[in-house]
Amino acid sequence: MADYKAVLIEKGPGGWGGPLTILPTDETPLIYCVTGGGIHPIAARIAELTGGELFDGFKSSAPFDKIAVAVIDCGGTARIGVYPMKKVKTVDIHATSPAGPLAMFITEELMVSGVKADNIKPID
Amino acid sequence: MTALYQSTVTEIGELVPAFIAEGMLVFFGEGAPEELRDFCIMHEVSHKQDQVTVGDFFAINDQEFEILAVGDVANENLMNLGHLNLKANGNNQADLPGDVCIAEVELPEIKVGTHFSITRR
Repeated sequence: MADYKAVLIEKGPGGWGGPLTILPTDETPLIYCVTGGGIHPIAARIAELTGGELFDGFKSSAPFDKIAVAVIDCGGTARIGVYPMKKVKTVDIHATSPAGPLAMFITEELMVSGVKADNIKPID
Repeated sequence: MTALYQSTVTEIGELVPAFIAEGMLVFFGEGAPEELRDFCIMHEVSHKQDQVTVGDFFAINDQEFEILAVGDVANENLMNLGHLNLKANGNNQADLPGDVCIAEVELPEIKVGTHFSITRR
């Protein structure tokens, strides 16, 4: 059994939503990264601090109920809504606010945006 | 005329009409996660050459639309993920960093096999 730790993720400059507390569990171990060009450093940082398992969403697919947090680099329309719609906590690297046809699913409890490495803090 | 990007639609998600109704086409390249496919137009890129800028043209079948605005991360999305949020909203400035804007027009019908491209004159 892995030893997981919680982190608090706050919005970055110009960002929206949160703060989110992320604590992976044996049932939801995945730090699910859906960004261009492989695992994003923000996802890697969250995995490092929490003990969660990094997963590249562009390489293969994972069930939603295994995801502790989704990390996206969405410009504001599509990915921004998909994970909140499935009640998956979502971190957007870009400083976006809810918009588009999926905006109704995006809440401050489920999404935080504009996140930089400094915005991720361990919780004791 | 230079072709910057050329691709063919391979799959149309169930929720695509909801996005079209709001004047948006959301494209994703092959390899996009399953959960994105419901509301995306999936496509297979045959040619990508250069970054898209204002004044280039987006063409679907034989219809062409001048690109009025390009968001800060739109090119990154397009080159890395084949991801494009095309919005027919007439904006000269992208509201969202992923947007590529064209005039407020009725979007043409898109089907599997439809070709689209971005060109520079």
